[in-house]
Amino acid sequence: MVLGTEDATPVSFWFAVTPGASVGMDDLVAVRTQKPDGSPVHFYGIVDHVRTRHEGVTFDSDVQDVVAGLLPASVSYAARVLVTRVSPENFIPPQPGDEVRHARGEDLRLALSADKMKRSFPGGLLADGQVLPLNYQFVNGEQGGHINISGISGVATKTSYALFLLHAIFRSGVLDTHGEGHRTRALIFNVKGEDLLFLDQPNREVDPVERGVQAAKGLATGRYDLLGLPATPFRDVQFLAPPKAGAGDVIVPDVEQRSGGVTPFVFSLREFCQRRMLPYVFPDGNASLNLGFVIGNIEEKLARLAAGDDAPYLTVEDWQPDTETLLSEDVRFDDMGKTRIQTFAQLISYLEYKLLEQNDGEGDPKWVLKQNQGTLRAFVRRLRGVQKHLAPLVRGDLTPARAAQYRPDLLKAGVQTSVVDIHKLGAHAQSFVVGVLLRELFEHKERYGRQDTVFVVLDELNKYAPREGDSPIKDVLLDIAERGRSLGIILIGAQQTASEVERRIVSNAAIRVVGRLDLAEAERPEYRFLPQSFRARAGILQPGTMLVSQPDVPNPVLVNYPFPAWATRRDEVAEEVGQATEDAGNDWLGL
Amino acid sequence: MRIRLDPWPVDMEGGQLGLKRFEGELIDIETPRWAAVAPRPIPARLGTVYVVDGKRRMESRVFIEDGDGAAGMGGFGAYVVGAVELCPHGTRPATLREVRAQRLLAHAPGLRVDPCLLSPRDPHTGRLQYAPVVADSAEPLAPLHKLQQVMLAAEQELSHGLASRVPFDEEDDREALTALTIQDGTLRSQNLGGAVVGCVKTMQTQYLPPDRAGLLTDLKPGERTPILHMRYENNRITRFIWYVRLCEAAFYQHPMSGVMRLEMYAPEEPDFLPPIVRTVANVSGPLLCRLASQPYKDPRAPQNLIPTAALEHAMTRAMGSADLVTRRLRAHIARELGVAS
Repeated sequence: MVLGTEDATPVSFWFAVTPGASVGMDDLVAVRTQKPDGSPVHFYGIVDHVRTRHEGVTFDSDVQDVVAGLLPASVSYAARVLVTRVSPENFIPPQPGDEVRHARGEDLRLALSADKMKRSFPGGLLADGQVLPLNYQFVNGEQGGHINISGISGVATKTSYALFLLHAIFRSGVLDTHGEGHRTRALIFNVKGEDLLFLDQPNREVDPVERGVQAAKGLATGRYDLLGLPATPFRDVQFLAPPKAGAGDVIVPDVEQRSGGVTPFVFSLREFCQRRMLPYVFPDGNASLNLGFVIGNIEEKLARLAAGDDAPYLTVEDWQPDTETLLSEDVRFDDMGKTRIQTFAQLISYLEYKLLEQNDGEGDPKWVLKQNQGTLRAFVRRLRGVQKHLAPLVRGDLTPARAAQYRPDLLKAGVQTSVVDIHKLGAHAQSFVVGVLLRELFEHKERYGRQDTVFVVLDELNKYAPREGDSPIKDVLLDIAERGRSLGIILIGAQQTASEVERRIVSNAAIRVVGRLDLAEAERPEYRFLPQSFRARAGILQPGTMLVSQPDVPNPVLVNYPFPAWATRRDEVAEEVGQATEDAGNDWLGL
Repeated sequence: MRIRLDPWPVDMEGGQLGLKRFEGELIDIETPRWAAVAPRPIPARLGTVYVVDGKRRMESRVFIEDGDGAAGMGGFGAYVVGAVELCPHGTRPATLREVRAQRLLAHAPGLRVDPCLLSPRDPHTGRLQYAPVVADSAEPLAPLHKLQQVMLAAEQELSHGLASRVPFDEEDDREALTALTIQDGTLRSQNLGGAVVGCVKTMQTQYLPPDRAGLLTDLKPGERTPILHMRYENNRITRFIWYVRLCEAAFYQHPMSGVMRLEMYAPEEPDFLPPIVRTVANVSGPLLCRLASQPYKDPRAPQNLIPTAALEHAMTRAMGSADLVTRRLRAHIARELGVAS
């Protein structure tokens, strides 16, 4: 019953729990109150605070007398409710004495505004084993888009939850209702370990873990059954990884744990120039105005140089590399006396020549454009710095056919999920790959419109779109955050600390998820969407538990989600030898 | 000259110690040997102890004019009697019993008065029902006295209804003490036969002659005096009485502080001490020491027992806020008279 000793308001009230009943935090409740004209008003809310105390005693030490059986006292058990919905929207307060009930069935649907959702998918399980529906229209861009997940690494399991959401979107049937199933895709960047390279493999631990949880929580059926999701791994997955360093025709993906099924990807040198990828080599390129100018100028020059041909390499007439200093490099000249630029290192050497060496150290005036030597040197120095990481990725020594074969195709027919493994690359090369691929995706969608939704899963947003400073990749991410939803690109971003990510990216996310947070972090303004009691709790959340906030429900809801049905390590893969070995062989043979 | 403090705060009327001389008759019924009796452990068969108290409040004085043209004084009053049920061995939580407010409209004799039912504006807050009761006279204070009488009768009935029977003749001594009622204050009116012990918190009258009063000072906590049979000088009321010390007196207090007088109903003829009375006297020390309050919690400690304080609190609450009741009465009268409130 609603308490009369505490204020009851339309947004929050306390209620007393009758003896024998039990209410915990996160339980959803419903209250019916009556207006003077007899019409009912229903309040639905979530319990965010529970407490017990001795009633009718004055002193703290009275508890001893009560326990000794001398002092009569009753235990008052009360809970506070944050209202999530008032129906109809008459914001009168509930009356003290109104009966509070657990929200179940239809009440629960109303409490979570499920009736307002035309299409929804399961976003996890509430504490009592009921399903939290998430409004798909706030995910796919119809009314809102983007998902943002915050939490401490390791304990917050951000990536797991992002993958769970993808699994729920793909497999809950929400897509089929609009005939989208075959066109919706996901692009996942794997930034840590080789965790995500086994998404298509069943996890052999899922059954024992889920059975244990089911027993511990006293659920009637397994969590996957409750959610209406199959406990199966991802389907139609392609894995992309950068190749191992080293020249030669054999291109091998640079991964260790997984032996087969990973496709290496490279960009040809000509693509690099034609498609103006140079700025993405400099994540902090706009830090100095002069450097930005040089980058823009060279980008333009390279694009012109690469125009009009489609061989993977570039040819230049005005450069005779000093072969002695480049002994290790395999410089080739073609019939016309032109020099072929076949490797990334040669491209840098060429740029160095054009900027610093030609004309006795003056450089080619058209390339230099009167820029200070120091700036030019800085430019070359930075290129050299990333050479090691980018050389395997950007190459011109392949045949055109092979270059086309290894070009990353994120929207390949028959592929639903693409995992791009960049965890082995250096920070600059990671940004380069993410930036280039996202821009390509964005430009593709700009051309063809939102025929299908692409979900982009990117961890460590704070690295790619930091709050301070500008970078080309941040521009791409901002574009996605601000315009992507109308183009059908949905960013599922995650980061440890939302306070360090560009505000516009976080604030554009319709659905926000918080796992375990550092308590100091939880008090930052980025987390004001959490009520105070939830902020305090964010510090003690267990792995597998998330606070989910969506636009339809004014208060966040605590959910848990099942153990992944896909393997997240090689030793979790349910053994199915034979096929894998065969795949590995084919891979080596380039078949 | 020696000055020591009365244990109770000055705003308590009369203080704890008055020490007037008693003029009645006292008879040694337990033993002629005047010495402290050591406490005995509480017997296992005594399973329940009830602490009973009552409280009353006059809520409004009224003038009544009935349909026949008669008029007189009256009053809206409320009273509560209630009990705390507890286990002297501490095996159960203490609970409140029967703490319910009763309301009555006491009025001068000769008036025709209907029951009063006050319906609230908000259905959650309950109705107040005043039953008409005729007072003894038309005096202005008669309704208050009537209220007091009704309350005491209810208290008496509750006390005796809860307790074990006390046999008052020599043939019947088998009945055991299983339930004991501790009633706050002195015993009233006639004996209804239950094992009821009255706890008198103050010592306004010094019953003991000066040569015996010294023992009160020397009692150790939990010890008691022998039981005496007492008869008032001017009427026929008889009681068994004894004294118990609940706590050590502080050096600055009167040495009789912490001493409490207990009484039980006694037959008029001082020739028989029922065994239950002796049992009650034996357990009274340890029991009351256990129930005694602490000075930082209660200004009347240790005499105001922990359950009594809790009961008083609950009874006050059961009667409701006096302000709200007065307002309800006013609104009720406004409605009766057809005035917009």
